[in-house]
Amino acid sequence: MNNILYSNRRELLSRAGLGFGWLAFSALAQEGKRFESPLAPKTPHHQAKAKRVIFVFLNGGPSHLDTFDWKPELAKLDGRYLPPQFEFKPRGQSGIMISEAFPELAKQADDLCLINSATTKNPGHQQAVVAIHTGNEMFVRPSMGAWVTYGLGTMAQDLPGFITINPIGDLGGAGNYGSAFLPATYQGTRVSSGGGVPDLSNRVWAESDQVNQLRFMQKANRRFMAKTDAGHSELEGVIQSYELAFQMQRSVPEVFALDEEPQSVRDLYGIGNGVTDSFGQSCLMARRLAEKGVRFIQVTSSGWDHHNKIKEALADRAAAIDLPLAGLIQDLKQRDMLKDTLIVCSGEFGRGAHMDNGGGRGHQASGFTVWMCGGGVKGGQRYGETDELGVNAVVNAMPTHDLHATILHLLGLDHELLTYRYAGRDFRLTDVAGEVHTGIFS
Amino acid sequence: MRFLVFSFLVVASVGGAEKAVVPWSFKALKRPALPQVEGSVVELDRFIIDRLQREGAALNAVAERATLIRRVTLDLHGLLPTPQEVAAFVEAPLPDEAAFEAVVDGLLKSPRFGERWGRHWLDVVRYADSVGRSWNAPFIAAARYRDWVIDAFNSDMPYTQFVAAQVAGDLMPAKAGATNVVGTGMLALGSLDLTALQYDQFRLDRIDDQIDVTTRAFMGLTIACARCHDHKKDPVTQADYYALAGLFESSQTWSGTAHKAEHRGNLYVEPEYLLRVNGGSKTTVGAPLARGSINAMDDAPAMMSEEVVQPRNGNEPIRYGFDPGLVMAVTDDKPANCAIRVAGDPYQEGQTIRRGELAIPGLPPMPKVGPQESGRLQLAQWLTTPTHPLTSRVMVNRVWSHLFGQGIVRTVDDFGITGEKPDHPELLDHLAVKFVEGGWSVKSLIKMLVMSRTYRQSSVRVEGSAVARELLAGMPLRRVEMEVLRDVLLQVSGQLSLERPVGVPLAGTGGKGNSGRTRGLIGVESPYRTVYLPVLRDLLTPMHEVWDFPNPTQIKGQREVTTVPAQGLFMLNNAFVMEAAERFAEQLQESDTNEDARLTTIYEVLLCRQPEAEELKDAKELLGELGSGGEGLAGLVQAVMGGVEFRYRN
Repeated sequence: MNNILYSNRRELLSRAGLGFGWLAFSALAQEGKRFESPLAPKTPHHQAKAKRVIFVFLNGGPSHLDTFDWKPELAKLDGRYLPPQFEFKPRGQSGIMISEAFPELAKQADDLCLINSATTKNPGHQQAVVAIHTGNEMFVRPSMGAWVTYGLGTMAQDLPGFITINPIGDLGGAGNYGSAFLPATYQGTRVSSGGGVPDLSNRVWAESDQVNQLRFMQKANRRFMAKTDAGHSELEGVIQSYELAFQMQRSVPEVFALDEEPQSVRDLYGIGNGVTDSFGQSCLMARRLAEKGVRFIQVTSSGWDHHNKIKEALADRAAAIDLPLAGLIQDLKQRDMLKDTLIVCSGEFGRGAHMDNGGGRGHQASGFTVWMCGGGVKGGQRYGETDELGVNAVVNAMPTHDLHATILHLLGLDHELLTYRYAGRDFRLTDVAGEVHTGIFS
Repeated sequence: MRFLVFSFLVVASVGGAEKAVVPWSFKALKRPALPQVEGSVVELDRFIIDRLQREGAALNAVAERATLIRRVTLDLHGLLPTPQEVAAFVEAPLPDEAAFEAVVDGLLKSPRFGERWGRHWLDVVRYADSVGRSWNAPFIAAARYRDWVIDAFNSDMPYTQFVAAQVAGDLMPAKAGATNVVGTGMLALGSLDLTALQYDQFRLDRIDDQIDVTTRAFMGLTIACARCHDHKKDPVTQADYYALAGLFESSQTWSGTAHKAEHRGNLYVEPEYLLRVNGGSKTTVGAPLARGSINAMDDAPAMMSEEVVQPRNGNEPIRYGFDPGLVMAVTDDKPANCAIRVAGDPYQEGQTIRRGELAIPGLPPMPKVGPQESGRLQLAQWLTTPTHPLTSRVMVNRVWSHLFGQGIVRTVDDFGITGEKPDHPELLDHLAVKFVEGGWSVKSLIKMLVMSRTYRQSSVRVEGSAVARELLAGMPLRRVEMEVLRDVLLQVSGQLSLERPVGVPLAGTGGKGNSGRTRGLIGVESPYRTVYLPVLRDLLTPMHEVWDFPNPTQIKGQREVTTVPAQGLFMLNNAFVMEAAERFAEQLQESDTNEDARLTTIYEVLLCRQPEAEELKDAKELLGELGSGGEGLAGLVQAVMGGVEFRYRN
C-alpha cells in the first residue's frame, strides 16, 4: 500500500524537480521504521464488495409514498389521506415500481435496490438528521464517514479521505461530518462547488519559490532529526506531510476542474441546464473524487420537507436531482466503477399517508425508503415492506444501526469490530445494535 | 414485563457489585519507599532512575541551558523566551539548578502561566462558548468560567478548593469578593440538544453530562456508563449513577440557554437563565436579570475596539451587552431523589435511589446528605478527602502528562478497569502524596516536576531500547499545540496582545440568517492569546481543526497528535503564517542593519539559539533565490517557522 505513496512521490520528484524527497526516502529505507500516515489504506476485516461510498443525503425527509414505495391501497383513499401524487409504473426488466417523479432514475431501475423498510427513532429533523449521519441523536458521536475513514484509511493520500460537498450548516452542522472523539484527521472536509480545501495557494510565492523554501525546510528538518532523533517517526511524518502538501496544491484544484470533462459527460449530469446544473456539478465532483480514491463522499440536496403542495414541491426537487443521479450511475458504470462504488440515497425520514396542511405530508420515522446502487448491492429489487398505507415497516425493518452495519459490511468492515476506545469503553458506529441485511447483497 | 426486567437488573447489580473487580486506582494511597540510587537527585528521579536501571538504561545528559529555557517557557507559558531571557540564563553565573530555579519561579509568577495551564483544564471539562448540537446557541457568559479557571491557576488556588468550587462553589462559605460560585459554570457547559423533542429527555441528558464531567474530570471514572445498565467493567452500578443523579436533580442549572419548552418566543439564548452574582457575602444568588439585556445593535455597548459596526440594514446580527455580574452556574433547587430510568428511558421509572448513597466498593463512603440538601457539598467534601485515592492521583497524572508528553497512566481520563495501568505505580503515589502534603498546590507540583533531573534531561536520542525511551530515558520531543503555535507566531511578529478581551465576543442566537447565525467576534487574526478566542462547537476555525484542537463536546485530557498534509499547507500558505513572517521581517529590517545580524536574530528569536555556519549558508542561498529584500527575508522567516525545530519543543 505504501507503494502507491512512493510512486506518487517519485512522480512528484520528477515532475517538480525536487531534491528533498530522495533524502527522506533513503533515510526511511535505512531506518527500517517508517511513519504510518493515519490516512494510509488499511486492510478491511473481510473481503470488501465496495471500496468507497457516495452518500446522497436528501435533507428534509422526502416522501417515499410518492416516489419509491408503491402503495396501491393508498391510491384508493382520499379525504384524510393523500393518495400518491405521482403515477407508479413497473420499470426495467425487474419491473420494480417507481413513480413518475424520477423518470431518469427509473431507467436505472435494474441497478437500484429500494429498501422500503428503513426506520429511524425520532420524527424531528434535528434528531433524525444527526441519527442518520452519526447513528446517535442523543450524544455527540463520530459520523459514518469518519468511522469509515478511520476503519479503511483512504487511497488518495493527496486528498482528504472524507469529503462532503455543500453540507447543511444547521441541524447539527459540522457534527454531521465530524469526528467527535476520533482524531480530527478523520472528520469530513467540507467543500463547496468549486473547491474549498483551505490554504491551497499562496498569495506571494510562485511554485518555484516554494520549491526553494521547501528544500531549505526539509534540509533543516533532516539536520534537526540527525541531531536529536534520526528515527523519530512523527518527525518523519512532518517531512512527508510537506511533500504531500506541495503535491496537493496541484492535485486538489485538478480534481475540482469540472470543465476538463468532455461535453458528453457534462450533459450526462445535466450541467449547464438551470434545473440540474448545481446538483449535477456536485455529482460530477463526487465521481471525480471517487475516481481519485477518496473513501467517503457525501452529496447533499436540501428542500425536501414537503408539508404543503407536495405535488409541485416534490416535482421541483426531484427534477433537480433525477437526471444528475441517473448520470452518476451511468458514468460510474461506463468506467467500470459502479461495481465497487456504493451509492446510498436517503433522507432523514419519510412522510406519512395523512394529508398535512395544504396538500402535503407530515414527518414519518416508522417507515421510509433508502435506495442503494452498485458496490455489491443487488439491483432491481424492493427489499422490506411497509404496511398497506406505508406507515410502519413490517417486513425486514431496517433501523439506522442496521443500515449503518450493512453499509460497513459492504465496505469489508464488521460493525462490531470497528471500535474506538474512549471514556473507558469501546465505541461503535452501531452502539450495541445493528444487524447486517444480507438480503440486499448481490 | 418492564418491571420484571428492571427488578432483575437491580438484583443483578447488587450481586455484581460484591464480586466486582476493583481497579488498581481504588487502592488506598500509600507513601512508597524511596528507591536507593546514586547521585544527588530529587526524590522523584529515584523512581525513574531505578526503573531505568532495571532496563539497563539511564537518564540522558542534562540539556543545554538554551534548550532548557525554551522548553520550560513553552511548557509553562506557551510562549518563547526572548533572546535576552535566553542570554541571561545561559550566562547566569550560578550553578545549573539555582539558575534554572530562578527561571522557573519567574515563570510561575507570571499571569501567562494561568493562560497556558488553564487551557489544559478547559480541555478536560469540554469548555465551549456555544451549546452545539441541533440549535447551536452561544453561551454568552461562559468566558467568566474560563477566566475563573485561568485566575485559579495563577493564584495557585489549592486543588481541593478548585474541585469543590466546580462541584459546589455556590454552597461554599464565601468571603468578600469570593468567586467560588463561578466554578460551578463547569456543570452548565454541557453540549445539549435544545430542541430535544421531550423535555424530560433534555433534563436527564443534562444531568448525565454533569455526572460525566464530574466523575471523569476529577476521578477518571466513567460513571455515566451506568445510566442505562450497570457498568460493564468498573464496579459501578446503575444505583450509583442515580444516587449521583439525585444531586443534580436537586440543583438548578443556569446556562443562559433555554430548551425550546422553556423559552418564550423563539430565543434560545436566555439571560434570565444566568445567575446574578453580587460578589461577596453568602447571598450570591440574586434576582435574574430582566429580559431586556438582550440587545440588538442599537443599545449594545461598544464591544472590542476594533469591531467593525455592521451596516444598519435590518438584518444585523444579534449581539449582547456585557454584564460581569451574570455567570453560568449551578445552585441548589428543591431537594429530590432521582428514580432509576430503566434502560435509560426517561419515562420508564424504576426504584428511587436516595441521593448521595454511593456504594462503589473500594472508595471511601460519601458523607450523608441531609434532607434539605442537594448533596453537591457532600460530593465536593468526598472528592477532596485527602485519602480519596483518585482525586490526587488523577490530577498529578494530568500535570505529568503536560510536561512529559504522556501520563504515568496513559489513559489520563480513565483510571478504571478499561484504562491502562501506570508505568510507575510507586512514582504516581509518591507524587500524589507529595501533592496532598503540599497543600494541593499545583504550582508547587509543577515546580517539583520541572526541577527534576528527569525533566531537565536532553531530548537527544541515545541508543537504547524503545521500552527505555518510553520510560523516559531522554526527554520526548513534542509538537506544540495549536494555541502555542498561534501565540508564538503573534509573539515573534510583535502582534501579541497580553490583554484579556472584555465584552461578549459572540453574536447570533443559533438560528439561521445573518441575525441568528452564531459566530465569534474575535477571530484567529486578532491579537489576543488563543485561550481567549471563542470556542464554538461545530464551528471551530480551520486553524483549530488542522492542529488537532480537541472537539469541545468531548472530555479530552490528552490531545491527539496527527500529522497530515493540511498542516504542511498551513505552514506553506496560510495568511496568518504569511503575515507573521512578513511582520517579523519588517522588524528585522528596522532593527538589524546587516544581513548576518538579521539571520542570527531569526535563529535567536525562533529557535533560541545561534545559527550554525551551514545554516547561515543555506539561509543566504535561499535569500539569493527569493530576493534579499523584505519579501525574500519574510520567505526565509517563513521557512524557518515551517521547520520541525520551531514546531516542536525539544
